Amino acid sequence: MDKVFLKNLKPLLDAIAEQMELYVPKKLGDYYSFSRYKPADSAEPVFNNIRVSSPAKEFLFPMREMAAVYGGKAETPDIKPFAVFGLKNCDLRGIKILDCVFKEEEFLDPSYVARRDNMFIISSDCFDPAETCFCNMVGGQPFAEEGFDLNLSKVKGGFIVEAGSEKGQKFVKDNMRIFTDLPADAESERDQIRKKSRTRLDEINAEYLLDNPINEIVEGCYDSPLFEEEAGVCVECQGCTRVCPTCHCFYLYDTKQKDYFGKMKMWDSCMRCDYAAVAGGENPRKILGDRSRHRLMHKFVYFLERYGIEMCVGCGRCVEGCAGGSEVRQLLKKLNEELKDKKHTKVTK
Amino acid sequence: MFNSRTYIPRATIIQDIEDLTYDTRLFRLKFKGLGDCDNSSESDYEPGQFVQVSVLGMGEAPISICSSPKDKGFFELCVRNTGGVTGAMQKLEKGDEIGVRGPYGNNFAIEKATGRDCAFIAGGIGLAPLRSVIKYVTAKRADYGKLAILYGARTKEDIVFADELSQWAQIESVEVHLTIDEPQEAWTGRTGVVTTLIGEISDMSEGKCFVCGPPIMIHFTIKELLDAGWTEENIIMTLERHMKCGVGKCGHCYIGDKYVCTDGPVFTYSQINALEVEV
Repeated sequence: MDKVFLKNLKPLLDAIAEQMELYVPKKLGDYYSFSRYKPADSAEPVFNNIRVSSPAKEFLFPMREMAAVYGGKAETPDIKPFAVFGLKNCDLRGIKILDCVFKEEEFLDPSYVARRDNMFIISSDCFDPAETCFCNMVGGQPFAEEGFDLNLSKVKGGFIVEAGSEKGQKFVKDNMRIFTDLPADAESERDQIRKKSRTRLDEINAEYLLDNPINEIVEGCYDSPLFEEEAGVCVECQGCTRVCPTCHCFYLYDTKQKDYFGKMKMWDSCMRCDYAAVAGGENPRKILGDRSRHRLMHKFVYFLERYGIEMCVGCGRCVEGCAGGSEVRQLLKKLNEELKDKKHTKVTK
Repeated sequence: MFNSRTYIPRATIIQDIEDLTYDTRLFRLKFKGLGDCDNSSESDYEPGQFVQVSVLGMGEAPISICSSPKDKGFFELCVRNTGGVTGAMQKLEKGDEIGVRGPYGNNFAIEKATGRDCAFIAGGIGLAPLRSVIKYVTAKRADYGKLAILYGARTKEDIVFADELSQWAQIESVEVHLTIDEPQEAWTGRTGVVTTLIGEISDMSEGKCFVCGPPIMIHFTIKELLDAGWTEENIIMTLERHMKCGVGKCGHCYIGDKYVCTDGPVFTYSQINALEVEV
């Protein structure tokens, strides 16, 4: 891996913005959101210590788009290269999960693939995890080792810049003027910072330590009344599925325009009551508790069986965004206790 | 595949429409222009597969193909009016254009039935997807053992493919048994639900049984078949779920860890049992 040093963000972002549209974090109260980068702004750009509140899927799988035009020749939209700065490892893992679905060989999703191929990813280490973060519980870590074009690690006096792809390497090579050599102690400082973030995550989630893999816990407690109980606070706003970086259910519907017919693709949510209802009116998941169980089963069991990875990256957005105050870690912990009791009863029987 | 694109429907022209009952029509479709794909080759779809049909500007509905892959140059869909898209299809006329995506889903794996007896049990419009297999196996009659078709409809007015049922009955060692739910004037045949016919095939329990119909009919049919000695692996059925994309992405038709659209819609009863779900 090629590593170089960068003193200030602005020259890097300016250089990227010269080549393509660039989206950067913007501070909004306690949170971050993405906005278009304007090189003319004289202020030093914002470096986000933690993930942005909106999920990265918005760049690849827009909330609503024209998926097909009837009689149209090409299905692929004309996407120009674009870059996103400020993604964290949880975001990159989320993208990897979406790739499993939309880049599945047999049926590629043309607009996803077009966006994905044109996306330049500049990630950065997360060094201030929030109370809602739990990537460490689902096999994650607060810094990326793959899945980026460039990754930034903030250290004293600047950033270590690492290229993680051919595109990234080419960018570094073409823009050597903005980088300097790595200071001698920068990498060991980075390792210290990374270790500290990990320790911080362990502290945050100490009370949620589980005794079994999450898929075994959720599957083993399939009949638990806890799903219905926990769903008691749910107001069915579907916010959890909107902010989730891996939720990818969508709805297709037809539109009639002046001179053509189109098929629209729009985000949907498995928490919606009629989500699974069939033509005759039957609904396999009428009850809210069944829907919230289905959501967890999909995340931790079905997806794992299908694609070999869990569909949760532990970003904590669903916890942060829940209008009813539901907390997935608490539910998992309760299920964990229930499974332990179950196993215990089995043994003593 | 009729269609190499994921979301763009292929244009088809309605070549013929036959009113099978007061609410069910048979559409014969032909592709508009040949383009990059055509259905002139036999392998374009398999019995059991479905298509997403678009009434332009209105929406899509998943419909099983009910013709046989051996029918060349066209394919047929049997559509019952349940409102929405299927309701709009009742107003279509010969020469009108509709969109089609697919064919999607697995198939009845009919090759596994080679050399064996095959029973087909259908309720109502459930005969439509089975018609595709029945036409297929009767066209290759010598490859299979005894064939039996058990069909139940609500009333005699609800019977679909009546002419074909009597044609099939003429074929050597093909049995056809019909029933309607309640006695009716001018009906001399049997009455009662379709499960009352299962006694007719008691000597075929080593063979394959294909079941298609409304959930309640499937539920009781399976019970009877198991009691009559059929194994779970030999009971083959289709599942209905809300399918949107048809290509295993949109999440609507998830049932356990299976997508009905790509892993199904055809499942053996042993597979469904393992999913621990309601049919």
